[in-house]
Amino acid sequence: MVGFGHCVGMCGPLAVSLSLSLRQGKVLIPHLLYHAGRITTYALLGAVVGLTGSFTGVASRIAGIQKGVMIFAGVLIILMGLAMVGWIPLGRIFTDSFRPIGFFSRAFRRLNAAPSPEACYPVGLVLGLLPCGPVYTALVAAARAGMESGEPLQGMFTGLWLMIAFGLGTVPALLLLGRIAGLGWLTKREVIYRLSSVLMVALGVYFIVKAVLF
Amino acid sequence: MPCSPNDRPLSRVVPKPHGGLVGLLLCLVVMGIALCSSSGGARAQGAPAAVDCVIQTGPCTKTLADGTVTLDITPKPVRAMRDLTFTVTFSRVKAAHDPVIDLGMPGMIMGPNRVILKRAGDTTYQGTGVIVRCPSGRRTWKATVSVPGTGSAEFVFDVVY
Repeated sequence: MVGFGHCVGMCGPLAVSLSLSLRQGKVLIPHLLYHAGRITTYALLGAVVGLTGSFTGVASRIAGIQKGVMIFAGVLIILMGLAMVGWIPLGRIFTDSFRPIGFFSRAFRRLNAAPSPEACYPVGLVLGLLPCGPVYTALVAAARAGMESGEPLQGMFTGLWLMIAFGLGTVPALLLLGRIAGLGWLTKREVIYRLSSVLMVALGVYFIVKAVLF
Repeated sequence: MPCSPNDRPLSRVVPKPHGGLVGLLLCLVVMGIALCSSSGGARAQGAPAAVDCVIQTGPCTKTLADGTVTLDITPKPVRAMRDLTFTVTFSRVKAAHDPVIDLGMPGMIMGPNRVILKRAGDTTYQGTGVIVRCPSGRRTWKATVSVPGTGSAEFVFDVVY
């Protein structure tokens, strides 16, 4: 639960964007799958640093990938925002009625092939690589625990379970935010919905700029 | 992907938006709180927010009890995401047990990051650790040297990314 504000501030936009792209009232399972994907990635990273006993060795190898993932996240949020109100003919990415066309069909073909909302799990796998200070800190601890265990295999499992515990701690805040964003108990007004779409696009641009500067 | 009988034309797919707006506004409010707390939290927590140690050029010394604590980090330049050696030297300071260094960012919770120090001389302790990189771009970090039975000294410095 370390850094509640940190998690919500940095990853909250993704959780909210995911809810906005999902069918009304069916946000829990997709979010759980998304978080399961994230935690799977954390666990794999924890296993690797625990096995090797080195955080910096692993971190240096994935730094370039993380930059790409951050850009991907920004692009995804922008596309979800634009598609949400039909400003681009892409449909709602994670709904059953999604029919990809043109250039984007190649990029999202795998997601489209999977029945929604199961597509949220692979998205979580990828976005689990987003650069994050608390994740790094947890991986440092996992590497240290692995090094102190003395046995590489024991270190691997220590790192894996440590990162699973860390990942589970990040879920409540983001799940709550995603659930709130999935509620629709106010009067329908398209102008407000379009405003939400604009905010999502702005957040996506923010992610991309941050990635470039990272 | 086959059509569902419940499919609606894309132009008519406008579900109730306000939950989304509520969520986004909530997110913006929380982000604002997080940003405000990161800038004011240092003062609220009594920790220095301003850099008081130029670790890139050499060791830094602080007063503790009736003596001094000197911190040095190598190699130079002190970079994030690298294995670093932390060296603490005491003058007229007695440690009941091995001291430790807690690394963090002033006003921002990054999780516990402790450097375990071992005796490397009569008054010198050394340990290895990593200063992680914050995606926000902030480069100011704080090293709190805790001396069991005596107290602690804080060093605030900038790192290179």
